[in-house]
Amino acid sequence: MRRPRIGVFKFTSCDGCQLSILNLEEQLLGLLEFFEIAYFREAADLPPKRQYDVGIVEGSISTEWQRKEIMEIRDRTRFLITIGACATAGGLQALRNWANVSEYKRKVYPSPDLISVFAISTPVSEHAYVDYELWGCPIEKNALSETLVSLIIGKKPGFPVYSLCMDCKIKGIPCLLVSRAEPCLGPVTKTGCGVLCPSFGRPCYGCFGPRDGANIDSLLERFRNLGMSQKETVLLLDKMNTYAYRKARIEEAH
Amino acid sequence: MKKLIRSDYLARVEGEGGFTVRIENGRITGLNVRIFEAPRFFESFLEGRPFDDVPDFTARICGICPVAYQMTSVHAIERIFGIETSLPVRQLRRLMYCGEWIESHALHVYLLHGPDFYGLESAFAGKRYLDIAKKGMRLKQLGNDILTVLGGRPVHPVSVRVGGFYRVPERKTLADRLSEIERCYEESLEGIKWAASLPFDDRPRDTEFVSLGHPAEYPFNEGDIISSRGLRMSAEDFLGVLQEYQTEHSTALYSGIKRGSALSPYVLGPASRLNLNHEKLPLEITGVMKDAGVTVPIRNNQMSIIARSVEIAYSFYEAMRIIREYEAPDRPYVEFEPRAGTAVWATEAPRGTLIHRYELDERGFVRGCSILPPTSQNLSHMEKDIYTFVEANIDKPSDFIRKETEKIMRAYDPCISCSVHVVKV
Repeated sequence: MRRPRIGVFKFTSCDGCQLSILNLEEQLLGLLEFFEIAYFREAADLPPKRQYDVGIVEGSISTEWQRKEIMEIRDRTRFLITIGACATAGGLQALRNWANVSEYKRKVYPSPDLISVFAISTPVSEHAYVDYELWGCPIEKNALSETLVSLIIGKKPGFPVYSLCMDCKIKGIPCLLVSRAEPCLGPVTKTGCGVLCPSFGRPCYGCFGPRDGANIDSLLERFRNLGMSQKETVLLLDKMNTYAYRKARIEEAH
Repeated sequence: MKKLIRSDYLARVEGEGGFTVRIENGRITGLNVRIFEAPRFFESFLEGRPFDDVPDFTARICGICPVAYQMTSVHAIERIFGIETSLPVRQLRRLMYCGEWIESHALHVYLLHGPDFYGLESAFAGKRYLDIAKKGMRLKQLGNDILTVLGGRPVHPVSVRVGGFYRVPERKTLADRLSEIERCYEESLEGIKWAASLPFDDRPRDTEFVSLGHPAEYPFNEGDIISSRGLRMSAEDFLGVLQEYQTEHSTALYSGIKRGSALSPYVLGPASRLNLNHEKLPLEITGVMKDAGVTVPIRNNQMSIIARSVEIAYSFYEAMRIIREYEAPDRPYVEFEPRAGTAVWATEAPRGTLIHRYELDERGFVRGCSILPPTSQNLSHMEKDIYTFVEANIDKPSDFIRKETEKIMRAYDPCISCSVHVVKV
């Protein structure tokens, strides 16, 4: 029986999530027994294929070429997985969605007219149906290998969708918000990183994106009671998952 | 007779780039390296952000070299705030850079570039290369491990901050890794011999090599800009002798050194660092280099795989030295007050000298910044190398020219996602 065929694709991004695939180290060699990596430009000089069983997509959509390309890839792929904040939430570069892109272009490029990009950076899911999303900036690499193994055995991949708070308690890390009055996004953020920042004594800055049903407005009010201005609290949300946190706040309000 | 040779999407490099060459009647009429990686406008959205966002944000410029961005940015901001970090913090930052050099160089040498010398489309495509690939992956893994201990994860570590680190490891946590680091160090010495044995076109090229230079150490986080043509100046002054320009065929800006009315290309990266700083390497390593027949200076950037292999070994050596001498500091970071100011700082990213410039206001918010990555600085010289090669092989079959040009580009270890972040300075 032929091994399922994987294609790895990159859009607007830093390459960190693709690198996480290569950072699987020995697990990667194990995966290669069960999958054929048929297209992965960073690692192999192989031509594109007409059909893939699994498409792994990194990066947000921010140009016309990318918008067309992702729809093409969706057509040729049975199961589409997006990996990382850029693909799932538009990434840090989505900060431009709330600004004036012509200004941005002028600041960076002497001849801005030669540069053609969308005014906004959006997640893949705004353009094509996504079968599974792995959030994180970067993703947690073991989440990817677990997802691929689940696919082989026909199991639905599943990861905890509660907030970081649960995992901080399990690890015995005293709550930064409660005990140190620090503005931690943990309560409104999906767990999955291994509570890295709290382990390093710093508040969560939300690189895994909003958890479902998070009460973001309430948390921001708490931060304001700690002395932060309204503007400062919004700056906390406007990072790698800015688009997703803002969207979650709008949906929460309805 | 007209020929158009193109590579639309170069494989086994970081990011999206390619090239086109036009040949008419035995002469090159057009040659471009094309960078089509989508711009993300970091320097624009950093404006108005607080200083402590900068290391986390700039890390996202690149998944392979986030530490380079974090290091350069915190040093520049510390210069503005007048902060002096403690010796253990300084050493830990060097150790973190060792981890990144190992991870990045091993990725390139063994998985991205190495297959070129064996005619393989990937490191996993041939049985005869598989053992070499696995060895490279072991070295890379240890580099990632060092970054995980110091920063929580190798891609976008979380521990680096202005003033030091959020948390520092205990001595024992680092010392526990010594035996594995020693084992990999020995393997990396073998790696130098292997790299030196690969086939090269080693004809000297007329190249200006540029890197940081430091009076006491092989450079990571500190030093002046020096070059093989006698340049010696601060990073700030170096920005003054650089000219950047935009081309139609690229989303990355190019740069050259102004000399009179001419703009000359230059090379950054491991070959430059090795050429300009090899006397700072320990005798153990220079001994192995000599036995393997490696002569410095390396005259041709196509042989950079040798320099990268030397630097992998040096990074393991330096990691052992730092760990053996390490005493955890009393405090992981120093307290400070933000203040207004401007600073330029350069550090040696795996691919070469990375330069940042920040202007902060009195609260420490970013008023403006410029980021000059090594790959964009290398683009002019990359085109020059390709031109030299194509000219000398103008009558060869298109397929041959295309494949060899791809190898020339790969030898630069381009980090294309980074290169789209050059700003008008």
